[in-house]
Amino acid sequence: MAATSLVGKGRAAISLILDEGTFEENRIGGTVLDAGLGPGAVVGSGRLNGRVVTVIANDAKLRNPRFPVVYAGIIGLEEAYKMAEAVYASIAADDGLPPEKKRPLVLIVDSPGNGPGKIEEIFGMNKATGAYQLALIEARQKGHPVVAMIIGRAISGAFLCHGLQADRILTLSKEYGTMIHVMPLSSIARITKRDIETLETLSKTNPVFASGADYFYKLGGVEEIIEDSANMREAISRHIDEVYAFNSAGRREENGPRGRGALGAKRGGRKKRQQVLALMEQEFALIEDEYL
Amino acid sequence: MKAWEELISSSFYEATARQRAHGLVDAGTFNELGGPNKRLKSPHLPELGEAVSFDDGVVTGVGRIGARPVFVISQEGRFIGGAVGEVGGAKTTAIFQMALRLHDKIAKKYPEDASLRAPAIIYSFETGGVRLHEANAGLLAHAEQMELIQECRGKVPVISLIGSKVGCFGGMGFVSISTDVVVMSELGRIGLTGPEVIEQEMGKKEFDSSDRALIYRTTGGKHKTIMRDCSFLVDDTIGAFRDQVKTLLNMPYEQLKKYRSIGSLKLVQEQLSLVALAAVLQPKDSTDVWAHFGNDNPEGIPDMELEEFCRKAKLRHREVE
Repeated sequence: MAATSLVGKGRAAISLILDEGTFEENRIGGTVLDAGLGPGAVVGSGRLNGRVVTVIANDAKLRNPRFPVVYAGIIGLEEAYKMAEAVYASIAADDGLPPEKKRPLVLIVDSPGNGPGKIEEIFGMNKATGAYQLALIEARQKGHPVVAMIIGRAISGAFLCHGLQADRILTLSKEYGTMIHVMPLSSIARITKRDIETLETLSKTNPVFASGADYFYKLGGVEEIIEDSANMREAISRHIDEVYAFNSAGRREENGPRGRGALGAKRGGRKKRQQVLALMEQEFALIEDEYL
Repeated sequence: MKAWEELISSSFYEATARQRAHGLVDAGTFNELGGPNKRLKSPHLPELGEAVSFDDGVVTGVGRIGARPVFVISQEGRFIGGAVGEVGGAKTTAIFQMALRLHDKIAKKYPEDASLRAPAIIYSFETGGVRLHEANAGLLAHAEQMELIQECRGKVPVISLIGSKVGCFGGMGFVSISTDVVVMSELGRIGLTGPEVIEQEMGKKEFDSSDRALIYRTTGGKHKTIMRDCSFLVDDTIGAFRDQVKTLLNMPYEQLKKYRSIGSLKLVQEQLSLVALAAVLQPKDSTDVWAHFGNDNPEGIPDMELEEFCRKAKLRHREVE
């Protein structure tokens, strides 16, 4: 079956992932979010195999009428803060519930970047993306499983903002036109002053700078590659169950960014990180008593 | 290396990462961990024909300020613009994890007065973010640091220091603003999308990256103080940054919390009211925002001495106390 790309189609992906007709936009628990704010950020609740989940996605067709650099799925100031509000609304909705009952958050990832404008810098785009990431980590700390599903573009700062703080990250395979990178290889070639052929040859043995799902898989940057979009529902549900199981076993740290660090060593793409951590810990162990 | 007394009166802007690390903590107390003798160098740079550094561009270690252990992360802008790769990222992760573990041990051993004995982390930024030669690993390292900053909250105070030559841009722009407190000098610069990138993406009309004064008005220490992203603006000496850190570490953690600009729903809502202001004001320049906050001579602000600025400048009103 030929893969139908979902790039730029966040809303279509929501329909493919959630139980039919269950998506309620801008409503999470008792919170109703401002529909006019950050129109390109699509947030709300729905059901996945009957379980209530929060969904956070982007609609690449909508422009922000107030911030001209925000279009095509770019996450600007309003969008990032709205996404953060959706996370806090999810936390508030399940306040007092035991960790195993905290609703999962499903991040549908398709964004080319954060708002690259002067007004954004004057007011602090760094705060907006930072605020959303801190909210996601807090949700994880409280027991909410966070699973990201890359359906299109997971690019640099946008991927850090919306995706990389998840417990688990899944991606559609490259046949779906998914893009995961900091910069395309052509830009890296220009900056590192190497020709693109050399970089392509190097990337066969070293996944550390090349663009694409397969390289991020080797680095432990994504947990799983999904070959058929029809399987997204099953895969997301399965990972949610696994995250609950890890959390209740006191193994929360094995998910999320640091868990993916360990995965990168296991898959052989990011071995040095693990070595450095071990070496520095040994070094500190020799002097730790002085500080106790 | 200069004598410690000489270090603390040296310019923070000009100082190397190692000078900052030694000068920020008490004299003679800095123990470098993962130092150059350990040869923790990038395995990726030689593949691209680039030189390596034996510390991979970040100095990490532990010292003391008074009774407290203080972990230090200090980035070196002279090595590939202080950009973060796999090894430097791992060194930084290691420091956060050590500080957290030491905190838990101290809290167990001294349940009565753990907060005054608990370790702190000071993070001296000089970086443009991800190192493109090993971009994917650098990106993943940023995510680890964000997670660890959130894990430190309520346990290990994390203080950002920004006043070095390269500034603090790219992903490190949000890593630094996510800590408990941001301290800057007037020469410090912080942002997400660097001036060159804005110009490249949106054109010279949006941002002329050769205009130094514009860069300072948009990302510099004075502007970020008026916006309350920076809580303390200090002189450009290692000693001035150190004194500010000392003052902060003498405060109970509860008091440090009030310097956060993000990290709760209330703070997000406060920022959203600022975003609403941005939409209405549509400023052409930061000076429009300074005027809006009640500064009647915004054009004069860049030339003010620190003392005059601290006395006269009108800052954004804070909604969350």
